[in-house]
Amino acid sequence: MYMQITFIQTLLLTIYAFVAIYDALETDIGLSKPIQAGFFTGLVMGDVTLGLAVGATLQLMILGVSTYGGASIPDFMTGSIIGTAFGVISGKGIEFAIGLAVPIGLLLVQLDVLARFTNTFFQHRADKYADEGNFKKVETMNILGIIPWGLSRAIPVFIALLFGHEIVDSLVKVFPAWLMSGLSVAGRVLPALGIAILLRYLPVKKYSAYLLIGFVLAAYLKIPMVGVAIIGLALGLLVYQRSQREAQNAFAGGVNEDE
Amino acid sequence: MKMSNKNMDTGKITKRDLKKVYRRWLLGGQIGWNYERMQGLCYCFSMMPVLRKLYTKEEDLKKAVKQHLQFFNTEPDMAHLILGANVAIEESQGLEAVETVTAIKTGLMGPFAGIGDTIFGVIAGTVFGSIAAYMALNGNSLGIWIWLAWNIARWFIRWEFTKLGYAQGLKLVAAMEGKLKSMTEAASILGLTVVGALIPTVVRPTVPAVFQSREVTMEVQGILDQIMPALIPVALVAFVYWLLGRKKMNSTKAIWILLALSIILGAFGILG
Repeated sequence: MYMQITFIQTLLLTIYAFVAIYDALETDIGLSKPIQAGFFTGLVMGDVTLGLAVGATLQLMILGVSTYGGASIPDFMTGSIIGTAFGVISGKGIEFAIGLAVPIGLLLVQLDVLARFTNTFFQHRADKYADEGNFKKVETMNILGIIPWGLSRAIPVFIALLFGHEIVDSLVKVFPAWLMSGLSVAGRVLPALGIAILLRYLPVKKYSAYLLIGFVLAAYLKIPMVGVAIIGLALGLLVYQRSQREAQNAFAGGVNEDE
Repeated sequence: MKMSNKNMDTGKITKRDLKKVYRRWLLGGQIGWNYERMQGLCYCFSMMPVLRKLYTKEEDLKKAVKQHLQFFNTEPDMAHLILGANVAIEESQGLEAVETVTAIKTGLMGPFAGIGDTIFGVIAGTVFGSIAAYMALNGNSLGIWIWLAWNIARWFIRWEFTKLGYAQGLKLVAAMEGKLKSMTEAASILGLTVVGALIPTVVRPTVPAVFQSREVTMEVQGILDQIMPALIPVALVAFVYWLLGRKKMNSTKAIWILLALSIILGAFGILG
């Protein structure tokens, strides 16, 4: 009835979680995005469609949301990995996976806070080494910061998957049918949150016309997302060129460096 | 993007040194992030190769290192502009520029964070994230690879930013301000257009209820569709938008509310 998760799979996903949070901080090719994490977990667990669906739903909840100014956000990357893996293990599919991924992501915010807090220790060590003129060690302190960061993601994934079978077993017993159907509704409702958050960030009052244009393009004209993005780019370019022309006319040299 | 102001071959700092700073920030610009000084440790780490070259006396180097260990925080892509300008200033003025450097770091990190978060965070995340999610919901991973390609392109943008910052030095503020402002505006328009299209495509609950009176059956969803397609998604987004504007509300609370609401409405068959 259940699919077993092998130790190799557990290990691969644990390493992925560690690498992904490093990537989120630095190289940022996007491994920490819920959709990429879901995709990778789907590949490892042998159900890509499920991984994509779980990742996409979580992604839509936090579109354009990032750790601005060092704020912690729900850890839907880890949620996506654990949720997808449990979805495959239980054979209960996408609703079950999302139903787990969302609360897991919300709970794991605490570990993000802990990692950021722990690194203060390395900062203080660096101060001390700088006083002593030991500059090599100052550099090492920055690099060591990877440990709290990496572990804050790798440990929950490792523990959850190591006991995956037992956890899923007991979870399936407490998930009644009405809850499952409710969660499938939630999967279709929750992207509204990501969109609403975006509307809070973007200058929606100033440019509400473009929101309406986008809506009509998709709802009435059924233009796919890439097509809409190209039209949006064209509209943006028009405004950019106009404002550059205006700036050139108004701004005839003479620069004040004090702003 | 001309590079006329500085000649990298005559100064103390070579292109190789600048590349070292770029690489260090790309690979280590946030791993030492902490609540006390945020990216301070990482900034110092990235400047280290240049500092070692510029300050040969240990006392000078120590002073510079302690200076750069102070508080710093901005959007990681935009930080390359500041790093580049910082290298140029310290190369020409040395330790006497300490105050100038602190001023340029603290003066620019705020506005640059605002612009960078908008362009590289909100807008790019929205556009590429929407495309990737839209395709993934249909079982297609292509959008993920498109997003990946953009993110790798950003590595090159970040190197260009480092060079641009170096070339502009102190003039950086004036050179970037006007351009970045209108770029942010344009990007916001792109973002809003995509968000408008997202509402009817990815928010997908329906009303399964059917009213029956004698021979006539009325499907609620059919009636709603005649008024406007995606009426329920629009109403939902409007509701959550309003919800987020309330005092003491945050996105985490909103998730719990939506979860509970979905389960209740789903259980009674009002939403499906």
